[in-house]
Amino acid sequence: MQARHDFFIWRWFGTGLSFALFGLFGIVLGAIAWPLSRLFLIPVALRRRLGRRLVQASFRSFIGIMRSLGVLSYEFIGRERLGRPGQLIIANHPSLIDVVFLVGFTPAAGCVVKAALWRNPFTAGIVRSAGYIRNWPTDEMIEGASEALRAGQAVVMFPEGTRTTPGAELQFHRGAASVAVRAATVLTPVLITVNPTTLTKGLPWYRIPPRRPHFRLEVGADIEFQGFCAEHSLPMAGRALNAALLEHYRRELARAP
Amino acid sequence: MKSQEEILAHVREVLLELFEIDPARVQRETHLYQDLEIDSIDAVDLIDRIRRYTGKKVSGEDFRSVRTVGELVTVIERLGAQ
Repeated sequence: MQARHDFFIWRWFGTGLSFALFGLFGIVLGAIAWPLSRLFLIPVALRRRLGRRLVQASFRSFIGIMRSLGVLSYEFIGRERLGRPGQLIIANHPSLIDVVFLVGFTPAAGCVVKAALWRNPFTAGIVRSAGYIRNWPTDEMIEGASEALRAGQAVVMFPEGTRTTPGAELQFHRGAASVAVRAATVLTPVLITVNPTTLTKGLPWYRIPPRRPHFRLEVGADIEFQGFCAEHSLPMAGRALNAALLEHYRRELARAP
Repeated sequence: MKSQEEILAHVREVLLELFEIDPARVQRETHLYQDLEIDSIDAVDLIDRIRRYTGKKVSGEDFRSVRTVGELVTVIERLGAQ
């Protein structure tokens, strides 16, 4: 058994508290904000903007709370380059809370998320009031994300589709590349590393790491993809771009600190 | 109204243009996913082309049960006939 550091017991309670707060927030938002907004017949676009602002502010608070509790530390490099109109933001997906960071630090971002979250009582309120995009069925996801980008929103997508399987070779679904070649104005990669790993796929929240995890998020240079579109049909451009993105991430993760 | 043969010829053309698939590989019994590796993401572009070809408002829904080229041709024929 590994030695436990950084106030292990305290971090364990802090992590539990963070999860409880998140769940409570989700339920309250689902119970109040969403029905209220329907009741007052606020136009969809305004409702979504308000919903996103609320979700963003709350996610920022969660990160602040988790940092204050000593549950995690983080650095976010280049976040001022997130949130440009029509920007598709892609990121690798090592932990459960990557999306909390990306949405929390990107003004008014849309996000492609698992369709199951629409039926989860803790998350239904969040994804509905923020007007996020379901990842299923695939054709509706592609069209929904493309429309959002064309309308000038920034959209967050995780090309892995689900959290990284530790130890397995990185794989990308083509959905993000396909959306990029269809509708993105700019394509911006974010590299996320978590050390030591925490909240990985298949790990319950209470299995916290022996040391306080450090989240490092680095916004990379925009990826040039217009060349692929000029040379190929849309689906072939999506394939070529996906291969390039996968290579980019494999290289970056190999050299990541 | 177009014959099945004409529709098949068009499907071959579209698959060549979109996915660089040799028309000789496209037969009625050819499996779109297993043989030609056309998945749900590619289907979006394929359906886009069918929309233009038929001039009808078709949706992904219409193609959920399609597995082979022959089934695709039949669905296009039915959509065109409506």
